[in-house]
Amino acid sequence: MDIRSSLREGLISGIINVFVILLGLTTLVGTLVQEWFDLSSPTLGAWVLLLAVSAWGGARAGRLHLKESAMATLLAGLVAGIAHGLLVGLSLFAISTLNEAGAQLRQWLIQLTPQAIEMLTFSLSPLAAAVVSFLLLAAVSLVAALLVLVSNRYHWRESLRGSTTATTDRIKNAAAYQQVTDSRYTKGIALALFAAMVLAAPLLLNRYWNYTLGTVGIYVMLGLGLNIVVGFAGLLDLGYVAFFAIGAYTVALLTGPEPHGIMLNFWLALPAGVLVAAISGILLGIPVLRMRGDYLAIVTLGFGEIIRILSKSDVLTSFSGGPRGVRDIGGPVLFGLNVSSGMHYMYLILFGIALVAFVTQRLQYSRTGRAWMAMREDEDVAEAMGVYTLKYKLLAFAIGAAFAGLGGGIYASRNQFVGPEDFTLLVSINVLCLVIIGGMGSIPGVIVGALVLKGLPELLRELDAYRMLVFGALLIFMMIVRPEGLWPSKRRRMELHEQEDIPIEYQTAVD
Amino acid sequence: MADDAVHTHVRRRIDTWLIVRIVIGVLVVTYLVYRLWIILFVEQPYGPDTWLRFAISGMILGGVYAVIALGYTLVYGILFMINFAHGDVMMWGCFAGYFTLEILSGAGVLNRGISSSIISIVVTFAIGMIVSTLLAIALERIAYRPLRMAPRLVPLISAIGASLFLQNAAQLMFGAARQAYTNPEILERNTGWTVIVGGEEVLITYTGVLTFVLSVILMAGLWVLVNRTKMGTAMRAVAEDKKVAALMGIDVDRVIGLTFIISGALAGAAGVMWGLHMGIVYHYVGFVPGLKAFTAAVMGGIGNIPGAMLGGLSLGVLEAMGPPLLGIPFQLKDVVAFGILVLVLIFRPTGLLGEVLAEKKA
Repeated sequence: MDIRSSLREGLISGIINVFVILLGLTTLVGTLVQEWFDLSSPTLGAWVLLLAVSAWGGARAGRLHLKESAMATLLAGLVAGIAHGLLVGLSLFAISTLNEAGAQLRQWLIQLTPQAIEMLTFSLSPLAAAVVSFLLLAAVSLVAALLVLVSNRYHWRESLRGSTTATTDRIKNAAAYQQVTDSRYTKGIALALFAAMVLAAPLLLNRYWNYTLGTVGIYVMLGLGLNIVVGFAGLLDLGYVAFFAIGAYTVALLTGPEPHGIMLNFWLALPAGVLVAAISGILLGIPVLRMRGDYLAIVTLGFGEIIRILSKSDVLTSFSGGPRGVRDIGGPVLFGLNVSSGMHYMYLILFGIALVAFVTQRLQYSRTGRAWMAMREDEDVAEAMGVYTLKYKLLAFAIGAAFAGLGGGIYASRNQFVGPEDFTLLVSINVLCLVIIGGMGSIPGVIVGALVLKGLPELLRELDAYRMLVFGALLIFMMIVRPEGLWPSKRRRMELHEQEDIPIEYQTAVD
Repeated sequence: MADDAVHTHVRRRIDTWLIVRIVIGVLVVTYLVYRLWIILFVEQPYGPDTWLRFAISGMILGGVYAVIALGYTLVYGILFMINFAHGDVMMWGCFAGYFTLEILSGAGVLNRGISSSIISIVVTFAIGMIVSTLLAIALERIAYRPLRMAPRLVPLISAIGASLFLQNAAQLMFGAARQAYTNPEILERNTGWTVIVGGEEVLITYTGVLTFVLSVILMAGLWVLVNRTKMGTAMRAVAEDKKVAALMGIDVDRVIGLTFIISGALAGAAGVMWGLHMGIVYHYVGFVPGLKAFTAAVMGGIGNIPGAMLGGLSLGVLEAMGPPLLGIPFQLKDVVAFGILVLVLIFRPTGLLGEVLAEKKA
């Protein structure tokens, strides 16, 4: 039996645990658990997390040796546990000793507060804490290996999988299920129900939720726009926020009292914003016509940053308000009714989404949509087939920008203020993430993406600091496991998992 | 008849792009000539000493960009992907250097004597480079290796995710405040040799000289590695065609791992250089230099090592001297840099020195 692989598993999980401590995840989980279960201290939650990681490492090590013998499995788990325990134990020893010696660890590693250290060391002396943690982590790792052994011996995994398949098969074969899925009215009824819920929601929700869901709605609009550029046409645009900014600023400058005092009616300013954004989309598209995917990404990123820098610079303050932004933007007036509350804006946003979704849907199944699809799969072949890529690329940019402009205009009006810091690169990345994680090229996918990536963080307010961290990890994870997103269009899923259903003899080389 | 149809189609394609480029070229050149004329002959706001200062600071920054660009160019040359997280690897190297210097100065070793200061600096660089290297290896294993066969968009997104993760991990672990590097006294920032130019004193900083010299050494070392060693030949082979290289008996995984090791080490060195010279380190410090370094790599020709160095230096100088030459405020320095990128990609997409390692893959 080779010890190296178990040692490696143990060290890897050990390093993960050290980072978990340094990132403050132990404190986070500890306090969450403390709140949920009304405990007296966060220690339990924190240690549950640490032990879970150690168990994961031990299980992995054990699984590597299942084929050999029971002894090998257990030994693997033990070795991994020892490695892990030593690493974490020594780290805790170091942290605790330094802390007791009076070093201000918190200055450098801000998560190592006195409370955190107390929590991790059970308020014991450094040596005792190190030994206790070592024993706990090693033990848990061994137990995990044992569980792996037992579950293998009694075939727990297979039986679980078997029973779930059996149940789902029973459901699928039931007459009622078949009737529902076969009926052609099902999709229509489901959509109608959904639409009814969505239309009634703003009336029933309170102000906070209306505002939050409004933000989600604006991001859905942005997502659908980026969906056209990235999902349909395959042009990776990292500077999408530029069009959002242009639409927002256009509406702001046209309806705000300063710096120009034009005071145009909102319903005229909004189409103007959309138009200006579309034109800027074309202007952006022209220089990047011939660029390869990666270069395109960087250049569009650059454009996004340029727009932000320009809007922030002092030189253009007289034109666009500079770092202080534009204030007191006018709200729309419909039939004499002043649209100002969150609820009214929700309807406006819903209308915007419906418009954008409708246009997207029609485009997808049209000649333009097919041209985009061809371009996305292989540009040279598409050109050889007679697809005029120049026109379709510019069209994609223009329409995507127009949607962003629409979202920007509504955003500006709702916030009654726009400033350069509203349009950072982070917005572009947020929108890109939600399109990709939700599912590129599919409308329900984008909506799901917006709800998950914008709505969930609102629910989990306390985790705000960790949000971007989770985003990053989630992106990597999704790309490895499910690159087509949560709710992809069937075509996309086919494209990304081309080889999987074909037996190995018939698979062709993929470059 | 079919012949005519093909002809018309092809002719129309060339015309449009050419017209676009001619128009853009004429506009840009007119604007540049006009601004230059105004600044150099009409207003003359700066004396020769100030121009020299701009040039010097440009070259120093250019050296840092060049070292980071070398890392980008290596990875792109072999894997055809932009390592978005490269700037953040540099940031982590910068932090590692920061902590090393803090520990050394706290232990009193930093300023005990000239030799101990020098050893401290070497140790700082070593630790910064080691941390960045380890990070680059982890990055490759976790975020890039599983995606080697995937279409281009997928590893790019993964790289963006890795970048986000690294930035925020640094923010969560070290806080969002900007920290100041503790330079050893012999290498204090803003100290150096003074030179008299045009009647005024111009300062050539020690940190600046160190940065520039080190950049040149690293570039030369890398060039020797890639062109004169067996490993370098293996790297070039893998860059040209992965499958054939494997058939020739090269361990592709190991070569890719080595590429990331080298690129990580370079990023770490760049990070420590940045810290010593600019003095600021925080979680976002790698983002803009990373972007500019990518611009530099593209300018020089992606996959081309002397190209990356040339691109880095010229970008640094152009960026420093562009705003004063064109009479636009310094705030818009980044606009100049991105503008240069766009122009290079429009008029010479293969870069100034042409692509060497990489082939044109659509």
